[in-house]
Amino acid sequence: MTAPTNQASSTHEAVSQRVPLWRDAVVVKWMTQVTLLTLVLATLWFLASQAGDNLSARDIDIGFDFLERPPDIQLSEGIDTHPATGGRALWVGMVNTLRMAGAGIIFATLLGVVVGLSRLSNNWLIQRLGTIWVETLRNVPLLVQIIFYSSVLSTLPRVGLDTGPINGWLHISNKGLSIPRIFIADGFYQWAVVVLLGAIGARYVHKRRVHLHNETGANTSPILWALGTIVVFAIVGLFIHPAFSFIGPIMGAIAGLLDSLPVILPQVVLSAAAIFFAARWIRGFLADRRSAVGHLALSDDDYFRIIFAATAALIAVAILSMWSGFSSWLINSGTDLFEVIEDKFNADGAARPFDAMRPDIVKPGKFANYGTSGLTITIGFAAVFFGVVFYTSAFIGEIVRGGILAVPKGQIEAASAVGLSRAQSLRHIVLPQAFRIILPPLGNQYLNLTKNTSLAIAVGYSDIVQVGQTVYNQTGKTLPVVAIWMLFYLACSLTISVIVNYYNVRLKLVER
Amino acid sequence: MNDMDTDARTDAEPPARSERDLSNAADMIVCEEICKWYGDFQALEGVSATIKEQEVVVVLGPSGSGKSTWIRCINRLEQHQEGRIVVDGVELTNDLRNIEKVRSEVGMVFQQFNLFPHLKVRDNVSLAPIWVRKKPKAEAEEQAQALLELVGIPEQADKFPGQLSGGQQQRVAIARALAMEPKIMLFDEPTSALDPEMIKEVLDVMKNLALSGMTMMVVTHEMGFAKEVADRIIFMEEGQIVEVGTPEHFFTNPTEDRTKLFLSQILA
Repeated sequence: MTAPTNQASSTHEAVSQRVPLWRDAVVVKWMTQVTLLTLVLATLWFLASQAGDNLSARDIDIGFDFLERPPDIQLSEGIDTHPATGGRALWVGMVNTLRMAGAGIIFATLLGVVVGLSRLSNNWLIQRLGTIWVETLRNVPLLVQIIFYSSVLSTLPRVGLDTGPINGWLHISNKGLSIPRIFIADGFYQWAVVVLLGAIGARYVHKRRVHLHNETGANTSPILWALGTIVVFAIVGLFIHPAFSFIGPIMGAIAGLLDSLPVILPQVVLSAAAIFFAARWIRGFLADRRSAVGHLALSDDDYFRIIFAATAALIAVAILSMWSGFSSWLINSGTDLFEVIEDKFNADGAARPFDAMRPDIVKPGKFANYGTSGLTITIGFAAVFFGVVFYTSAFIGEIVRGGILAVPKGQIEAASAVGLSRAQSLRHIVLPQAFRIILPPLGNQYLNLTKNTSLAIAVGYSDIVQVGQTVYNQTGKTLPVVAIWMLFYLACSLTISVIVNYYNVRLKLVER
Repeated sequence: MNDMDTDARTDAEPPARSERDLSNAADMIVCEEICKWYGDFQALEGVSATIKEQEVVVVLGPSGSGKSTWIRCINRLEQHQEGRIVVDGVELTNDLRNIEKVRSEVGMVFQQFNLFPHLKVRDNVSLAPIWVRKKPKAEAEEQAQALLELVGIPEQADKFPGQLSGGQQQRVAIARALAMEPKIMLFDEPTSALDPEMIKEVLDVMKNLALSGMTMMVVTHEMGFAKEVADRIIFMEEGQIVEVGTPEHFFTNPTEDRTKLFLSQILA
């Protein structure tokens, strides 16, 4: 009886003894991971130190101090045309890029959907127009298009001579389009609180109307009711907003409280949070890996993940405890934030939420231009905007068309067979399914559009690239500026990716 | 559906289907000499038939004989080019209002189910009553639940179609068609895409529907169903009706040679 057992165990031992280290799957796997990581870190270290040596040998300064210095730059447009520091100038450029990308994404989507639907139309003329639009715009380089729009718009009459159809209210010239501007005034923030209350009320009204629709089947137009609620609050708010100036002192008290906090507090709280979240993640991970009967099987990768999570938390704690400057910066910015809010609410009781101004024309030197009173769309903005919107709309149109065609024919037949009209079938059956197909390539187009706005440099629109180039031409700090560009575009792209992926996961069809 | 009292009918001894006298029943579907071409190919070559109220007609024939094309013409998923089709007194023409009227009175079940994959089972069933019949949502969902009970899968209401087996999906498709309270049900090879063990659960639902008095037109290859449930069998080949008769006549002494050949191949 014992003989076979002995034999079996000895065979087992023999097998485990016979495997040399370089053939042991577990050892090989760990060694590869560690070696690769070491190699990557070593390469990065080598490149960085080489670059540093070369730069210092050639006496090139890669410091970021230019961000704090006055840049002696004038920008053609933006939230601040005479920035006080290099950092401020770059910030204005970023805002201009974001403004262009945001407006471009919205309008390119709307136009692209129209183009895509028109190419599917039964109407011969509309279908042809859609085809011509797509084939023309996607086959001409975007840079050429932007320069074309810019040169066409530059043929408009000169500013100040013949300034548009409704003189004083609307100006169209070779400097762009300028219309009256409505801007927020001192009472705005108090009024915004009333509108916020209106939004909460609107949510409740919406719920009630939907409920009523489900009960009776009558058309209760919940969205119209909700919008109406907000509008009513907004109008009433114009008269009662001074009542909300009491928020100011409250914010001031919070600011004072924050200011009196000891520096150690954020350090302790954040360290505890880092450890807490790491521990919670590890616990959840272990629970996830445990089978229904409680058996826990961890692969080498799993161990690696757990070690990584724990190490990350410990590194965070180490950094926090050594770097007290970060902690005091947190406290100071929190204090500043609430002081700013306090300031916004401490408006005079008679302050209006809004004010409006007519466009003006100024002549600082030899040449006339629009002043800051009106809302101005410059030729540069218009050229880049038309460029990216038209160009991207051609691609989005094709994506929309493809997505709709990809919905199986049987779906449309089934929708007709149960009596849905063409419009109902489009709304409830075709578009929801097409949207799931369209979304990933649509996200790619958003990324492309955002990156393509950098072509603004061709027509002098003050986006981040144009401003950055001016800054490094004056300061010689090419590498730091390029690094800022790259980080900025990376942040934009990752944000768009995260949003698109979120919806992509949420809309996934449930399969078995 | 409340007006469909299936339990009472299944308890009673059902009358032999083919012995029922339907001569006084109203005409539900009238087809006169309908023709249809796909390019140069003629799919239907003058098909004429009348289907009475409460009648169950099974259409048999080899593949490519025009069975599916014919049944799809009856709710205008395909357009016939010559002849007349009148469904419950409404003629199918280019008049969109007539097409809508016919479609809301005729339910259809497809070979590939064609359930809406982005909607839960309950919403698949209640969608058309809510948007076409303008029923209150609560009422439509109650009706959907009752219909899912009728087809035997009330517990699947909150799942998505992709989570169901083929037989369950086809039963949901039947419930979806019944939700519009149709006078006529069309079945286009409802069991052809199913595994053998799932065919029975779908055929059982169809049998109960027939016993409840629904007017039905069924394209199928299920000979057992045809024998047991059909009032009449129509045999088609190459776009024409070859032979029409009761199941007894059709399976025991068919008159046409082509029918005999078809049966010998099927039953061999």
